Amino acid sequence: MLLPPGHEGDVDEMLNRIIHGVRVEHHDAVRRSSTGENLDVSISMSPILDQHGNLVGASKVVRDITERKRAEVALAEARDAAEASSHAFEAFSYSVAHDLRAPLRAIDGFSQALRDEFAQVLDETGLDYLERVCGSAQQMAGLIDGLLSLARVTHREFTSTNVDLSMLVTSVADRLRNQSPERVVQVIVHPGLSAPGDETLLANALENLLSNAWKFTRDQPQARIEFGSDKDGYFVRDNGAGFNTAFSAKLFGVFQRLHTAEEFEGTGIGLATVQRIIRRHGGQIWAESTVGNGATFHFTLSERS
Amino acid sequence: MMNVKRSGILLIEDNRNDETLTCRVLRANHMTDITVKRDGSEALDYLFAQGAFEGRDVMDQPVVVLLDLNLPKIGGLEVLQEIRADHRTALLAVVIMTSSQEEADMLGSYENGANSYVIKPVEFKEFSEHVKQLGLYWMLTNKAPGQVTP
Repeated sequence: MLLPPGHEGDVDEMLNRIIHGVRVEHHDAVRRSSTGENLDVSISMSPILDQHGNLVGASKVVRDITERKRAEVALAEARDAAEASSHAFEAFSYSVAHDLRAPLRAIDGFSQALRDEFAQVLDETGLDYLERVCGSAQQMAGLIDGLLSLARVTHREFTSTNVDLSMLVTSVADRLRNQSPERVVQVIVHPGLSAPGDETLLANALENLLSNAWKFTRDQPQARIEFGSDKDGYFVRDNGAGFNTAFSAKLFGVFQRLHTAEEFEGTGIGLATVQRIIRRHGGQIWAESTVGNGATFHFTLSERS
Repeated sequence: MMNVKRSGILLIEDNRNDETLTCRVLRANHMTDITVKRDGSEALDYLFAQGAFEGRDVMDQPVVVLLDLNLPKIGGLEVLQEIRADHRTALLAVVIMTSSQEEADMLGSYENGANSYVIKPVEFKEFSEHVKQLGLYWMLTNKAPGQVTP
């Protein structure tokens, strides 16, 4: 192993340390191999002392770390590429949010204006058509929002803190109650459940799970929603409409729905979003259900369980 | 500042549909004194009585400006900065009305002295409720120096 020109200084420094009885650990340097190639190496040196503590020699290990260096460069490049794609995505979603929303507002607004000002010249069929125009505009607005939120879940920066899950669930439940005060729903939240994770993402996931439970217990006179933990991890359980487990593979797919729009409205984006969030936490999500007997969504937030 | 006379609403909006819908709601709620400018440059010329608006009395000012952010030529934020930088218009009430839910836009607006930030809802019912409320608030509830009582 030869010393390429310009690297003499670090040898002197290492020897100086050894003379003073100090070890050199993982010193990154460049050395030339017998084939004349420059290699990235990691050098460790230790002084060898006799029984009286006198320096009698040194042991030296030179490790070829060319591969590691190459991997580091590749990693940095990948990180830059990811950052660039994330910026491109930001720009894309910004324009989606603005440019797709404006025409929708016009569709909805002018349909409303037609209904307000020209209702007398429209018959029942005409009014029904207008209704459908408005309904479709609103449905599309929901889809845009859902897709944006799904995409954000994948691209958002992950900030880990200790997240109070019980508190998040309670505040979602309060909000749902405020939105539909006519509903009688018993919400049971096991207290004190917390986990490390990204608070915004977990709030999004719990919001989706709770809103689903809220929606699918709509026809249940004694609706009951429970959030807690058991040996499998966490769960959100409801006694609502449930679903046929024969289709459970489709449950978490984007735009996949197990109910018709007439039974229960929805975009088919919520659970896909939840699954992405759980996976970003290194966890898993699965569901159990029987039709008419409610559903339970189990999830973990790390690979421990 | 003493000689400023404030009346009506200045709507700065490049989207014709949003313009029509906003005006429709304002008129339905008896706010009929509306001036519309369709890009940032035209709006500034109007406010400062310059360019095509030379000769206009610069002391004739709106009670409130409804300002879109995404505007051709000169963007909404820059319009806001110009308004705040000129002593004649520095006290103008400016309400940002935008489709943008981006935190950066919201912060930028407040940092540059916006009086309010309103996200235009997609649903027209909600949209008209927002426009009605903010119109009534800025025209009737809130009082601005030099405001002409109708």
